[in-house]
Amino acid sequence: MSGQTTGRTPGRRDVRPLRVSEVTVRFGGLVAVNRVSFTVEPGSIHALIGPNGAGKSTCFNAISGVCRISSGRITLGDVDLGRTPPHRIAALGVGRAFQNLALSPTSTVFDNVMLGRHALTGGGFLGHGLRAPWLRRAARRHADRVAEICDFLGVARYLHTPAGVLPYGDQKRVDIARALAVEPTLLMLDEPAAGMNASETAEMAALIQDVRDELGVSVLFVEHDMGLVMGIADRVTVLDFGRLIADDVPSVVQRAPEVIAAYLGVDDGQGQPAVKTRAGGGFPGTGGGNGDPATSPRPGRDGRAEPDSREAMG
Amino acid sequence: MSDSNRAAGDMVPGDGRWWRIGRVAGAALLIVVLLALPLYLPGEWLKVGTWMMTGAVGALGLTLLTGQAGQLSLAHGFFLLVGAVSYAVLSGPAGDPTYIGFGLPPVVGLLGAVLISGLAGAAFAPVSGRLRGIYLGVASLALVFLGFWLGRALPAVAGSTSSGRLPQPFSIFGLSVDVSRQLSSLSVFGVPLGRDERTWYLYLLLTAIAYLLAQGAVSGRPGRAWRAVRDNETAATVLGVSVVRVKAGVFAISSAYAGLAGVMTAWWTGIMKPDESEVAGSYGVTVSIAFLAMIVVGGLGSLPGAVLGAALVFGLPVALPLLTQSASADIGSGTAFSPIVITNFAYGALIVLIILFEPSGMAGLGRRLLGPARART
Amino acid sequence: MQTFLQVLINGTGKGAIFALLALGFVIIFKATEVVNFAHGSLALAGGYVVAVLKPMVGWWSAAAAGITAAAVLALVIERLLLARARNASDTSLAILTIGVDVLVLTEVVRRLGTEASPFLGDPYDVKPLTLGDVTVGRSEVVALAVSVVLITAFFAAFRFSPWGVAMRAQSENREAAALMGIRSSRVTASAWAVGGALAGIAVLFLATQDFSGGGLSQATHGVALAAFPAAIIGGLTSPGGAVLGGFVVGLTEAMTAQYVDLDFAKVAVYLVMLLVLVVRPSGLFGRVVQARV
Repeated sequence: MSGQTTGRTPGRRDVRPLRVSEVTVRFGGLVAVNRVSFTVEPGSIHALIGPNGAGKSTCFNAISGVCRISSGRITLGDVDLGRTPPHRIAALGVGRAFQNLALSPTSTVFDNVMLGRHALTGGGFLGHGLRAPWLRRAARRHADRVAEICDFLGVARYLHTPAGVLPYGDQKRVDIARALAVEPTLLMLDEPAAGMNASETAEMAALIQDVRDELGVSVLFVEHDMGLVMGIADRVTVLDFGRLIADDVPSVVQRAPEVIAAYLGVDDGQGQPAVKTRAGGGFPGTGGGNGDPATSPRPGRDGRAEPDSREAMG
Repeated sequence: MSDSNRAAGDMVPGDGRWWRIGRVAGAALLIVVLLALPLYLPGEWLKVGTWMMTGAVGALGLTLLTGQAGQLSLAHGFFLLVGAVSYAVLSGPAGDPTYIGFGLPPVVGLLGAVLISGLAGAAFAPVSGRLRGIYLGVASLALVFLGFWLGRALPAVAGSTSSGRLPQPFSIFGLSVDVSRQLSSLSVFGVPLGRDERTWYLYLLLTAIAYLLAQGAVSGRPGRAWRAVRDNETAATVLGVSVVRVKAGVFAISSAYAGLAGVMTAWWTGIMKPDESEVAGSYGVTVSIAFLAMIVVGGLGSLPGAVLGAALVFGLPVALPLLTQSASADIGSGTAFSPIVITNFAYGALIVLIILFEPSGMAGLGRRLLGPARART
Repeated sequence: MQTFLQVLINGTGKGAIFALLALGFVIIFKATEVVNFAHGSLALAGGYVVAVLKPMVGWWSAAAAGITAAAVLALVIERLLLARARNASDTSLAILTIGVDVLVLTEVVRRLGTEASPFLGDPYDVKPLTLGDVTVGRSEVVALAVSVVLITAFFAAFRFSPWGVAMRAQSENREAAALMGIRSSRVTASAWAVGGALAGIAVLFLATQDFSGGGLSQATHGVALAAFPAAIIGGLTSPGGAVLGGFVVGLTEAMTAQYVDLDFAKVAVYLVMLLVLVVRPSGLFGRVVQARV
């Protein structure tokens, strides 16, 4: 991955902090995200967690510009993402993989990943229709880079296979390859380990760390698998009902009473049992025994949850 | 959107060496046959061929829009009208008392007509860029009605409804298409090239250009953006594609193709004249639907499919009378199974059957038949 | 003023018919998410049955048979074709209905032949009504009355009957409705039948001297196309919007024909639709569907 041939910035990238400050998103009368602030430091792996419906995906959508924020500011370096047209955000170095695999099932893996380079390439109908030599040369260069990225993700052998026929885990990888094809400084992954078994989750954890270590980019990810979260995240932001309830290093977050309450559910005064009422994911501390994140990259099934399905706008 | 019905044109064929050699050989053979046909076919059959090619050019444009980008349009007929009228006006004789004309050379008129059609499509951007799929399909009906009305309201431009105006025949460097066989000074292997033969070569050239341009775009960056917009607009946006611009752009491109098909229609019929009704005629809803039928029958998004579909839908009504030799005899009684009726039945039924049983159309069928050959390489 | 009132009443009467067509179109869309491009053909087929039976069994029985025929045809299209293509995309299904439309339209127009197009509004056509000093077509007045009754009945059923509840539940959430024991196929089929019947009723007014100045022909199909702009103006997901859209279309057409230009009237209808779409891409009352990622 180090031999970058066609990136925005050769070698180490100019990675800038992502600042989410006092962001509120409303859908009609519903407040999906309520005055949330956090910062993704350059080169860090940052997890965004919370029970189903906490506003994680809405947060993701706000950062990538597909849903408009009602108030607050989201900046990448000194660029205001809230004022940037959504399709320009990729070109600023934000690559995103999706929760429900938004690949074109009938297009090849190559075509899917190459789409990530849309903003890095040029030429319109006539240029490509007339097969302009400079466009063809550039296309070959970008194709090499796509092959390289797919190789890094371990999906190179599927380059000319329609993405829709691949196993689920490989489709996930293609999706991440596409996000990396953007040559991002901020990589956003929406539930990268959803639907994966223990060994696949471990591989995913290693992959995310590799991406950060080799490219030096920031990684912001939403995940329900607490083993994965606590194992690789440098910092964890916890949302509940659209509000931020914790934002700290994993070891602190795991012990925060608000987080425990959010995950286990608290007595709401209506005679509900005090456990497991609305938790979408496992409680960070449970199932692990030792709370030390550094020694517990446990991609086991204990912290597993169903993919988030209730949140507005996915 | 899990759906296997719209993507005949996406799959990249296997890249086995023999398969590639076979493809190149097949293409070469096809070119030779197409170039040689005028030497053997009588004029009326050449006219069937040129009409098929007219349909093919329009269908190529529509399959980019509908098959590749997932946007429905029923306004293809309207853009045929824009192209035909633009050509008639640009290349029409200047100083004609009844009809407006600029007296430009036919080549300029042709390019201008394609450009104007494309611009007309681009002007529809506020609608074509914002609406999705079927909504755009219904909205585009507006253009058909607008075109019908404009055509009749401006006879000095579009020709009178009774007699119409004559579109300038194509000529370039003093070489005209409009030369009768007897007077032709040009011949190949002793076969004089008259009007029908020359039209064949002209149309073949235009269709080939249209096809190659579309092919380059489909396999490159524009094609990837189209399919991304078709399959998931939000994902496309996040990956840097301006959905509005892509949708408006592909609509304009499709319109330019329709414009070229319109010029070819005007040449082929030899007359430029507005339709009798919004639904029937050369530029109405019926024609738009015929184009839609071509690309569905051929397989949505597939370029060879669009050409095959055009050959069927446009070829059948003109070929049937030649085959049965009794064309005009029983049309008068009204309820007869005229070639038009038979064609309509054929492609209506084909649309239904193909969507039910073979969603990727003739292209998919062909792929399945050729599949084993490809796998062996 | 007199003319204005006349145009207003005629336009409202025409609008009532477009409202019936658009309502049927929207019912079908709500229940099955299919944009039924064969809607005009349903009307045409129903009208053809009326035209054939009228001389034999009288207008009333023929009309009843025609309405039934349109409903049955819609049912057959749904059961025989669409029910088999559940996995196809909405665009493919819409194109499927275009295929059906081509088939039905071609056959009906072929059968009608070149003879004089039959008029279908015997009891009310060409019998002008004079109300004070305003003279209006009786067809428009009857159409308006019939539509008001039918639309009221539909909304009552939609709101209160078990069928309406099932309909609404299914259009909200198909899986949940199925889990609650709502039989999706029955709701779907009945929606098509109702849509077809409404088209069958509408054609009894479309093919009149009062309404279009022409009998049942291919042109009737073109006139029925105005159900699309009506439905789109109101929003494809809103029955109330469809009714409103129908009246907007009827009045726009009548007003433009009177005060601007007869030929421009149809164009004006579609321009109004474009205007609405540019401002509100899902129509006046349509639900905005947002993609999930």
